[in-house]
Amino acid sequence: MKRQTRRLDRQPGEVIDRGSPLEFGWNGRSYPAYAGDTIASALAACGERVFSRSFKYHRPRGLLTASYTDPGCIVQVGDEPNVRGAHRLAEPGMDVRSQDTWPSLVFDVKAANELVGRFLPAGFYYKTFIRPRPLWPTYERVLRRFSHGGVVSPDPLSPELSSYDKRQVHPDVLVAGGGPAGMTSAVAAARAGARVMLVEEEHSLGGHLRWGDKADLAALHDLRSLLAASGVEVLTNSVVFGRYDHNHVAIVQRGLTHVYERLVKARAKTLVVAPGLIERPYVFAGNDVPGVMLSTAVRRLINLYAVKPGDRAVVLTANPQGDAAVVDLERAGVEVAHVVDARGGDDLVRVLGRGGVKGVELVGGHRIECDLVVTAVGWTAPLTLLTMAGTVAAYDSRAARYFPGTATLPDDALPAGGVVGDGTLDELVAHADAVGREAARRAGSMSRREPAAEIPALPVDAHPELFHGPTHGIVDFSEDVSSRDLLTAVEEGYSSAELAKRYTTATMGPTQGKLESVNVVAIIAEATGRTISQTGTTTWRPPYAPVTLGALAGRHREPVRYSPMHPWHERHGAAPLVAGAWIRPDHYGDPAGEVLAVRKRVGIIDVTPIGKLDLRGPDVPKLLNLLYVNRWSKLEVGRVRYGVMCAEDGVVLDDGVTGRLGDQHYLMSTTSSGAASVWEWVESWLQTEHPGWQVHVTPVTTSYASINVAGPRSRELLGRVVAEIDLTPQAFPYMHVRTGRVAGVDGCVLWRIGFTGELSFELHVPASYGLHVWETLLDSGNDLGVRAFGIEAQRILRLEKGHLIVGQDTDGLTQAFSAGLDGLIRLDKGDFVGRSELVWQAEAAAESRLVGLHPNDASVVPEEGSQLIEAGVICGRVTSSRWSPTLHRSICLAQVATEFAEPGTLVTVRLPDGRSVPATVTEHLASVDPEGARLRG
Amino acid sequence: MAETGVVARSPIAPAAPEIILAGWAVSARRSGAALTVTDCTPMTKVAIKAAPVGATAERLEVPFGRVSRQTWTLGDRDCSVMVVGSGPGEWLVLGPPGSQVSLIHQLSTLAGDGDLVAVVDLSHGRALVRLTGSWAAEVLAKETAMDLGDSVCPDGAAFRSAVAGLAADVIRDDRDGTRSYLVGCERSSGQYLFDSLLESGAEFGIEVDGFVPPDI
Repeated sequence: MKRQTRRLDRQPGEVIDRGSPLEFGWNGRSYPAYAGDTIASALAACGERVFSRSFKYHRPRGLLTASYTDPGCIVQVGDEPNVRGAHRLAEPGMDVRSQDTWPSLVFDVKAANELVGRFLPAGFYYKTFIRPRPLWPTYERVLRRFSHGGVVSPDPLSPELSSYDKRQVHPDVLVAGGGPAGMTSAVAAARAGARVMLVEEEHSLGGHLRWGDKADLAALHDLRSLLAASGVEVLTNSVVFGRYDHNHVAIVQRGLTHVYERLVKARAKTLVVAPGLIERPYVFAGNDVPGVMLSTAVRRLINLYAVKPGDRAVVLTANPQGDAAVVDLERAGVEVAHVVDARGGDDLVRVLGRGGVKGVELVGGHRIECDLVVTAVGWTAPLTLLTMAGTVAAYDSRAARYFPGTATLPDDALPAGGVVGDGTLDELVAHADAVGREAARRAGSMSRREPAAEIPALPVDAHPELFHGPTHGIVDFSEDVSSRDLLTAVEEGYSSAELAKRYTTATMGPTQGKLESVNVVAIIAEATGRTISQTGTTTWRPPYAPVTLGALAGRHREPVRYSPMHPWHERHGAAPLVAGAWIRPDHYGDPAGEVLAVRKRVGIIDVTPIGKLDLRGPDVPKLLNLLYVNRWSKLEVGRVRYGVMCAEDGVVLDDGVTGRLGDQHYLMSTTSSGAASVWEWVESWLQTEHPGWQVHVTPVTTSYASINVAGPRSRELLGRVVAEIDLTPQAFPYMHVRTGRVAGVDGCVLWRIGFTGELSFELHVPASYGLHVWETLLDSGNDLGVRAFGIEAQRILRLEKGHLIVGQDTDGLTQAFSAGLDGLIRLDKGDFVGRSELVWQAEAAAESRLVGLHPNDASVVPEEGSQLIEAGVICGRVTSSRWSPTLHRSICLAQVATEFAEPGTLVTVRLPDGRSVPATVTEHLASVDPEGARLRG
Repeated sequence: MAETGVVARSPIAPAAPEIILAGWAVSARRSGAALTVTDCTPMTKVAIKAAPVGATAERLEVPFGRVSRQTWTLGDRDCSVMVVGSGPGEWLVLGPPGSQVSLIHQLSTLAGDGDLVAVVDLSHGRALVRLTGSWAAEVLAKETAMDLGDSVCPDGAAFRSAVAGLAADVIRDDRDGTRSYLVGCERSSGQYLFDSLLESGAEFGIEVDGFVPPDI
């Protein structure tokens, strides 16, 4: 195992727990770490300097920022690709590997790309690998070998990586950023009575105070104590990645025990954006050589992780933070060979070395040997969330950074801290405290009579504008875009920030511009002779940081609906049919046998999903007359009537039967798939067009378990389980309804209706007793040969009977006359929905009709949807088609052009396999018992 | 032979052991966990629809979005019932299991002159689940976008919204100072709702607790 040769003695602010050592693997070798180490800090403690290879040229890369945004340490952890190694905590047994390197990180063959770099400039793919076109598949195979990123296993991911969920929160104040400004704002808002959530991307709060001096650490301790007592909900290791309309804020939370990631959707009344400042790299030759780091990187490594970042350093500094890095380096035992003070005009020319820093060359040619180069040349304000809220970023050349334009910010978003200005810690805290109080006031947490908090302005320190040195270097470390690439883009006409971005892919990598956007704009501005303000920025859109698709998708959630008899279906081998959200029994192994059982004896089918609406009130007949094409005013108590609904364009919408159970009490049934839409349709007409009608509608689809008992012996079977109802044909004729007790269960509704063409009864039983009634029927009818039948058998039976199915034998254009419903439509009954279109259809004659069809070769069962063709013209289609076990032949329903709808007409069916077969239009839709004697018995 | 007598069954499979209580097959499991979920489907549930403003609304005394515990005389006994203002002109009355007949009779007398009132028994048409514990709001926050904070949804509040992707009624009904919610949906999705809450509550150590009537 490797040794921690670069681990320093205990540091005052270190976050590692030396009492909890652990081991993990890096490229197959074992490395030690402490709890609290990141993967990168643990590797750095063992002297590792190279963690990855760059995107295009496969140059060795090391730590740059040692933080969440570090582009040089993207690694594969087990099955998980693209892990931010400078942020992910090391865990025992972790298997960490470099990405996209072959055969190894140390010796990567793809580094040969650099040898042909002149053929791979920015936008090379627009100019190369295009001709000859027949070679495209080869180009694709080659280029795929060079695509960057980690590996996702084709096998199912481990549960740890594949579980996600979501959470909705409604804080009064959401604070994005857990540095001193964010912490102070959160505490102030909570004290003002607000519900506050504070989100921080690092593993602990404190921002730059964490790697600061003694005073900073003391201030951090105080802030943490205040926060702990404040009731603020804190999410660390979490990123606010988007601010959408009306402060709908999206957060990805990590480091959870039960799920890999959680998407937290927050509806915040006020958003405080306190992201601090991000240190900017300097562009010069060799700026990506391992060992070149930002000042904040070395301060993090030393103070948080007790890691000595090098032995001999050269520091380029332009600000007090760079000066502080010098102090920390010397305290850590790093020899500071030279300080290049940019404020005095000094500069770096290039870094010497390739696999690691060997030295630097200064302006004037002087070279200094070193293994560490530290730069502190400026700050970038991450304004992304504020621009999402509507601010327009304004560049201040005196401070060399962008600031948010507060005039364009909505009232519900407030910036705080470094994005607004500089100042001492006390000034920062006073400012942030006022922001927090004002955020609470705007959220309504304080009395509306409270005056707006006066937010003290923060001073803005001057800073030299330092973006690049006298040589070309890497601008976008993630995308391997150099300053030379940007100049090439400008030369080729892509001179705006937006165009240059798209042409070079600068700012499009995992860092999303946080490290490079200002440098990009500055270089383009210089090349085009404009100022940075004139050049403008790219548009910062969500997500602020990359988000997994899993987090966005969340838990696999698919509502499913079961009938009360479902346990019986499962136990008896029903093949499940997914019908919308319902799971229904398609068949029990022998649909043909089920059909014959119904035709010859008795069968029962679970039809619970049939839509049912309870209608009460004196104006129900008006409603039925309005929505159905037939008459309803004289439906007597105890009678049932079939009805068809049309939309306003006369297109068939739904069908079903409605029974009158009492003077002002009706039970309407709908198709299973139309249950919800018909309810909405009914309510829409009542509430918007006839609010004065006295009707109450209550959906009762699942209040009843519905069972259809069908077959010549159905009456006999029912007689064994029904009490208090006379089932004789005289007492209980076809299309009548009764209520009573079935199998000892009160409150059951029985309809004498038929869909199968046989004598049948439809039972609606209080759903909690559905299974009992179902099993009682089966037990009671053993000697009668009772058998359960499924949806497939029902479809065959109804097709034999010629009953249409709305949505199967009709479509979105089928008006009622085309569905063969002539006998039902009452154009003389007064206005109803769809009437005017149907009058027109009646006058113009329907263009098509629903007909019965028998293929002349009875053994041919055309596929549903097969076209009917005459004289080379499509004249219809097969809507339903099955083999009839009753008739031992194929039977169909079809929509056909009216001129071919006469019984006896020969039509041609074009089968999907290309064959054409003749078929004859039948006299009736029904192939079995067209007169209906069986079901009226 | 049929494996069931005339026993009512919830859409939610009872956690073992199963017993028959008040004519329902329920779970006899008892849990002392800090977060529990209970199938309360056996409770009587009766829907009333009437004019939002009128005699019936006055007599029920519960506005839209609120819940009231009341004592009604059902038959010859005083029973606790819960009256929920579940929608404009819509109420849901929850009562002890098996009290439909007396509840419906009682409610049918509410209508004033000219007041159309529909009283519909939904006891078998709705699944009802109770979630109880200090983490109850956190569990529900994974399933619904509604603001469950005390200022918006205090004890005694009711709302109708999407929960686990289902149209559901939610009633906040704290028990002995502990946060508790009743969540109701149409019956056929009851098992799915129950399973969703169990999955969401797993990180808080949720357990199934059996139904103890009358649970009002």
